[in-house]
Amino acid sequence: MTLRESAGRLHLATLALAVLVVLVWSMLSARYGAYVLPSPRAVVRGLVSIVASGEIWKHTAASLFRIVIGFGAAVVMALLLGLGAFLSRTVRGVVHDVVAVLNATSVFVWIVVSIIWFGLSEWAPIFTTFMITLPVVAANIVQGVESVDRRLLEMGDVYRLGGGEKFVSIVIPSTLPYLVAGMKVGFGLALKVSVVAEIFGVTSGIGYIMNYSREILETQMVFAWAVVMILVMIAADTLVFDGISRRLARWR
Amino acid sequence: MAVKLAVEDVGKDYLIPVIDRVSFTVEAGEFLCLLGPNGCGKTTLLRILGGIEPATRGRVLLDGETIVAEQSHQRKVGVVFQEDRLLPWLTLRENVALVLKPLGVAPAGRRRRADEFLALAGLRGFEDYHPGRVSGGMRQRAAIARALAIEPDVLLMDEPFGALDAQNRRIMQQEVRRIWQETGRTIVFVTHAIEEAVAIGTTLVMLSARPARIRELIRNDGRVARTTLVDDLNTMIMEEVERQQGARAR
Repeated sequence: MTLRESAGRLHLATLALAVLVVLVWSMLSARYGAYVLPSPRAVVRGLVSIVASGEIWKHTAASLFRIVIGFGAAVVMALLLGLGAFLSRTVRGVVHDVVAVLNATSVFVWIVVSIIWFGLSEWAPIFTTFMITLPVVAANIVQGVESVDRRLLEMGDVYRLGGGEKFVSIVIPSTLPYLVAGMKVGFGLALKVSVVAEIFGVTSGIGYIMNYSREILETQMVFAWAVVMILVMIAADTLVFDGISRRLARWR
Repeated sequence: MAVKLAVEDVGKDYLIPVIDRVSFTVEAGEFLCLLGPNGCGKTTLLRILGGIEPATRGRVLLDGETIVAEQSHQRKVGVVFQEDRLLPWLTLRENVALVLKPLGVAPAGRRRRADEFLALAGLRGFEDYHPGRVSGGMRQRAAIARALAIEPDVLLMDEPFGALDAQNRRIMQQEVRRIWQETGRTIVFVTHAIEEAVAIGTTLVMLSARPARIRELIRNDGRVARTTLVDDLNTMIMEEVERQQGARAR
């Protein structure tokens, strides 16, 4: 690896910017005090302490569990809607409209409504995650179904592939990249939304612990947990979704 | 020779009549080229022959059986389209093997037959390549292999080399000619390139301007010199192009 290559890989410019940010941050922290803006060192110490105590795994796992349930259900639902959109033009139109309405609905609506419906329980963040990610994933799948090359389907007809065979050999492979793209965006959204819903009524999860840290005036822990959230997001992107995308693009 | 394909008074209307009334027969083992000005309905006629689209009038008989749209007849029709229409996520072998599934060929047999026909089309050694990794000419070879693998009663080709450069085009013309001689298949080949038709077809059908009728049916058996034939057909096609433009101007 040449110097230039390794510089590219480490994003040296970004690193330089990070150093600058940390410097400015330290100065502002000294100026305004630890409650408003804790020092970078205090945040790092906070991170080390939750890793050492194992608290990091407890709250991350709780958040991820809710995301997996809510987001997973949204993906399953979106797949069913996509299948419906493939089979019927009418269903496709309805899905389009429903997606438009859901996309226009605020996160806060679902948080409040889910607290009314499910009380202060696990189900509030799960339901909120479901309702927010469903339109994103569904819109992508429907777009994938619509973009299936008609000429390939016609080829399937000429060679008399059955409906099931056409679905498996033509429709699914055409739609998969759209599904993965939708899931990638949807998962990011799920993580951001579910932690907000965790502010209310649950006693675990990254959102809960951030809000709790604020209440007991431990601002450095708010920052530490924000860092955890960012790391989880980046890990999911690079380890899961990029891997899947690369696998799918094998034949290109 | 036995009549393989009979086109009887076939016509097609969309908003306007595209094909007026066309009748001709194709004998078994014949290589028939459908010629005509652009937009005269050649592709539409081929799609009717393949049972992809229904005709408005008339009928098409393949071995005496009526071809209807949606492929519910028992005859086998292989089609090579203008584009290769290979599934990009499957290897060339898998692409060919896929169309053997509906014929009830067992997996091992599908694989063997796919390799056999890929080799016939000059693709030995490329069986495991994905379409995106080979050239346009090779993709059309694979599409031809796929069409031949079902052992079709008739092979329909719709300007299959339109997207290829001149050199590849000439190579593929020779290849199709060779494959035709080796397999003895009946071929209907649509093209607007007169030299191409004269170089490979045994029978040339020149269609008129839209709505299409048969302008001329020529046996390309060497009795007329090829250069003369090319000149005559060029004159004809220019007349038809002018007629089509005249009709549009009116």
